[in-house]
Amino acid sequence: MLYLYAFAERPVRLPDGLGLEGSALSAEEADGVTAVVSAVTGGTVRPSEEAVLAHAHVVDALAELNEAVVPARFGRAFSDAERLRRVMAERSDALGRALRHVRGCVELGLRAIPPANATGEAPASGRDYMRWRLAEQHRIERLGDDLDAPLAALARASTGMQTAPGLLSAAYLVPRERVDDFRRAVRELERTHGGVALACTGPWPPYSFATADPDGS
Amino acid sequence: MNDRLSKLQQDITLIELVDRVLNKGVVLAGDITLSVADVDLIYVSLRALLASAGTIDRLQLDTG
Repeated sequence: MLYLYAFAERPVRLPDGLGLEGSALSAEEADGVTAVVSAVTGGTVRPSEEAVLAHAHVVDALAELNEAVVPARFGRAFSDAERLRRVMAERSDALGRALRHVRGCVELGLRAIPPANATGEAPASGRDYMRWRLAEQHRIERLGDDLDAPLAALARASTGMQTAPGLLSAAYLVPRERVDDFRRAVRELERTHGGVALACTGPWPPYSFATADPDGS
Repeated sequence: MNDRLSKLQQDITLIELVDRVLNKGVVLAGDITLSVADVDLIYVSLRALLASAGTIDRLQLDTG
């Protein structure tokens, strides 16, 4: 079967390294889009830590050699090349759009831990607690908006700020030449927002911006 | 402090890598995919790397 790593534009530059289970990389083309795959024995994808890291390494190496790479999610394979090309042809418009969208960009991740609430502990009583919770949620959302706006302005696209208890996170699609500016902007935000802890991760291949939905979403 | 922060950055980077490879990326209608149970198995085997709750606890301790 053919295990799928990513899509790229023609002509693709394949890295020297090997894929899952030491398999050799190859390219399959359909309607102007190239899929990077390797022939893996067996009828199922065997999940393992090694396989996840092998997938990640192939996508990383591809993203270093090619201007536009749309990563595939781990664990996707096709029984044969004909089947893969048929699926690619069905989605070739969306895949072409996705490749143009990410061309020349990397993904940078942001995680933020908000400072502890200045108003102190959560109240014990029901109504006060609900009011406190709401105020706390608004505070986190405002902080998220404050952090997102200047970073999104440097990026081609943003996932928007996701909030979880005690944690904000987002991913940005950033042109390579603006990566240094982006990192500087993160440090500046940490300086101007007292007490917030920011971690900027990447550069990643654009996993968070890899979609091929027919409606373009 | 700097050593702890750089270790923390490494932990976060690993968590983010695994999260991206398993949960992000384009999905086509392939005919062979992992089951949800298989994906859960990978998370179990990567739990030493993931330990996300512990990492967040430490981040709050470091900066709180």
